Amino acid sequence: MGDDEHQHDFQEAGSGASATYPIQCSALRKNGYVLLKGRPCKIVEMSTSKTGKHGHAAIHLVGLDIFTGKKLEDISPSTHNMDVPNVTRNEYQLLNIDDNFLSLMTSDGGTKDDVRVPEGVTGTNLCSDFDDGKELLVTVISAMGEEAVVSYKEAPKCMYKAFSQSFCIYFFDAHIFTLL
Amino acid sequence: MSSQITSQESLKLDPAAYDNLETTLTNKNGQIPLHKRFRAMFTLKNLADKESIDILAKAFDDDSILLKHEVAYVLGQIKNPYANPVLRSILANRSEDPMVRHEAAEALGAIGDLSSLDILEEYLHDENVVVRETCELAIAKIKYENGKNGQESPKSIYTSIDPAPPNGKVQSVTKLRDILLDTNLPLFERYRAMFALRNLGTTEAVLALAQGLDDPSDLFRHEIAYVFGQIQSPASVPALIKTLENMNELYMVRHEAAEALGSIATSDCLPVLRKFKNDQERVVKESCEVALDMFEYENSQEFQYADGLINQSIAVDK
Repeated sequence: MGDDEHQHDFQEAGSGASATYPIQCSALRKNGYVLLKGRPCKIVEMSTSKTGKHGHAAIHLVGLDIFTGKKLEDISPSTHNMDVPNVTRNEYQLLNIDDNFLSLMTSDGGTKDDVRVPEGVTGTNLCSDFDDGKELLVTVISAMGEEAVVSYKEAPKCMYKAFSQSFCIYFFDAHIFTLL
Repeated sequence: MSSQITSQESLKLDPAAYDNLETTLTNKNGQIPLHKRFRAMFTLKNLADKESIDILAKAFDDDSILLKHEVAYVLGQIKNPYANPVLRSILANRSEDPMVRHEAAEALGAIGDLSSLDILEEYLHDENVVVRETCELAIAKIKYENGKNGQESPKSIYTSIDPAPPNGKVQSVTKLRDILLDTNLPLFERYRAMFALRNLGTTEAVLALAQGLDDPSDLFRHEIAYVFGQIQSPASVPALIKTLENMNELYMVRHEAAEALGSIATSDCLPVLRKFKNDQERVVKESCEVALDMFEYENSQEFQYADGLINQSIAVDK
């Protein structure tokens, strides 16, 4: 049910992939992604109900919003389809911070200036490390047309110039393909 | 999924938990509504150990045909040969209702022991056609599973053990429907088409299955209603309502239609279940009661249907 209800088309999802794709609830796995209450979440808990005579179980899903960290829950019949967000993770070299926006170097050498400084401790530390003159690599996660910095690290010394290619990691269900 | 340990399973060895389930299932104080007894029954089905089987078998002394037939079904689904003797004795009891005896024969088929073939062949000539046809199916299933293609069936999304494995070779709904409705074919082949259509589960497949509700075989019609309860497609609701409302239909078929409507649980299922919850046929009346509870469960945010341990764990703590 509802397979065709979600026809999102976000260019930002990367590689021309659609923002979400349907998957049968029973095929979801812990640590995979799913849309709960319309938000892209990482599944942290899954349990199956004890069935009655018709043998169709309900599945209780607990997920954390990948952008806000907020805990979301849902119960779905195991035979129904759920939407799974296409989640991509990119690493960029940080060039500058201007008015709370990051300036990042893209894989083709251009700049990307539309990602905000993350909120909280990560943001504060990022700014102070950048002000200290450290060369930083920033990991940006994107799904459903939304993007946010999830972490950053110091670029390996002497390596970062040659290393400014970005990494793309696509998550499909439980399988991970790494494309360099 | 079996790797998931729930709080239910950790209670497994608490003797008080078994006592409570038995008290509820067998309605020892005479005050427990039937739908609660059903939930206790399915809790025992999920525990699935010998102790649970012993408790379930005690419910055969009850006077509700519906409850007894469901116990036989559950014993088959547990799939432990430990239940064979009690199921054989039910099948062999000619004064028992055919609906219960049918379910016992089907359960023997579900458990699938070759040693059950003798008794199934004996009742292949029973005076009741529902029992005869069930024995025919159970024999075919056991022989099929023990034959060379026995393990080839595609895995189904439903957790039930079915009376026949789905036909895995034919994909077209039209072709499956032709097999389903061909009364010259063995019942086993027609059932295999039925479960293949169930697994497809599309509206087209549902409408093909609905044509089976006009079949001359009572057993066949009741099974169609059962798979509708599994598929939970709103497309089957009109045909199920028609079946439940048909006072000339056999109680066993009307019962299955009522419970399927409780499982589908769209708003149009409710008035008809309320209408027949005082039906003159006791099996139909009780089925509507259980179906209304199922309806409520499906429309709630309640997680466990088989909640016999959750409710009583509170009682145990007190």
